[in-house]
Amino acid sequence: MSVEDWYRVDRLPHIFCAGCGNGTIINCTLEAVESLGWKIDETIFVSGIGCSSRAPGYISTDSLHTTHGRALPFATGVKMAKPNFNVVVFTGDGDLSAIGGNHFIHACRRNIDITVICMNNQIYGMTGGQGSPCTPKGALSTTTPYGMDENPFDLCELATAAGANYVARWTSYHVKELNQAITFGLQKPGLSFIEVLVQCPTNYGRRNKLRDVQSMISAMKDHALLKEKRDRLLAEGKPIPDGMFVVGTLTDRNRPALGVKQ
Amino acid sequence: MKLVIDDTRCKGCNLCVMVCPYHIFQEGRTSNRRGIFVPELDRPERCTNCRLQPLYQRRLCGVCQMICPDQAISWLHEAPFEPHKVVIEY
Repeated sequence: MSVEDWYRVDRLPHIFCAGCGNGTIINCTLEAVESLGWKIDETIFVSGIGCSSRAPGYISTDSLHTTHGRALPFATGVKMAKPNFNVVVFTGDGDLSAIGGNHFIHACRRNIDITVICMNNQIYGMTGGQGSPCTPKGALSTTTPYGMDENPFDLCELATAAGANYVARWTSYHVKELNQAITFGLQKPGLSFIEVLVQCPTNYGRRNKLRDVQSMISAMKDHALLKEKRDRLLAEGKPIPDGMFVVGTLTDRNRPALGVKQ
Repeated sequence: MKLVIDDTRCKGCNLCVMVCPYHIFQEGRTSNRRGIFVPELDRPERCTNCRLQPLYQRRLCGVCQMICPDQAISWLHEAPFEPHKVVIEY
């Protein structure tokens, strides 16, 4: 088997815009799934509504494309009915944190044995660039034409506080690290949450002076701060530079989980 | 191994141009039938995976294939495999 077998080749090329990073994350996920030797018949991909949630449509396993924000309840049901199946949830920031926020914290609290991959493009991309709960402060969007004046969500801290077993954050530039994090998260019993910051040149970058893909990728690369470096800066009492976000494995613990494979 | 870009899938985002450590991918200058500027390959035999994959029997580097959002980059087997001398500049 190769990674190509996991794609519905007749559906490609997909509908994502040129330069959209969602395809990169599908690559990394399928690479991880392939390296673990999972079977196509025993893997289920679940998604909600949004750009990111188109992803399972291009994967040849069984998949559920469900209602807005309700990917996690459907995934919980699948896992409870078929505990031996591997369940992976693709979701976006608007899907997971806005309309599905309550489902997310309760899935973390129950610690179900699923893997949640959140493609955080910091905007509602599919509907035309409205501000989402993850839009950074000051960023322009169609609903915040004078700059976002609300504080964004930190999804990783939320998942850690709600009780998820494994929490990591990477960007779509860090493909190798992302692949390792997803491989680890898929093997981990309990809910593993991997937030991936992804570029959206069409709807986010165009309004925020990052018109082309290269500038969005280099902005993500420059603003990523490794967790080890953050801890070192805190230990030395130095200030953390402004506008940086932390990447790396943020939480790794072994709390009792629900629906673990027997 | 031979590096190929599938021009029916490529959308011309030029992410491979940005990440390749050997700068094998160059921005395309002519548009194809679908109006997309597919990147051109500059001496692809310098690619680590092209040179050493038959020796190590696993994929080396592979960042371009993983970052390609359109799944357009792949390697084809060349038979018979002939190692040839390659000049690498860093």
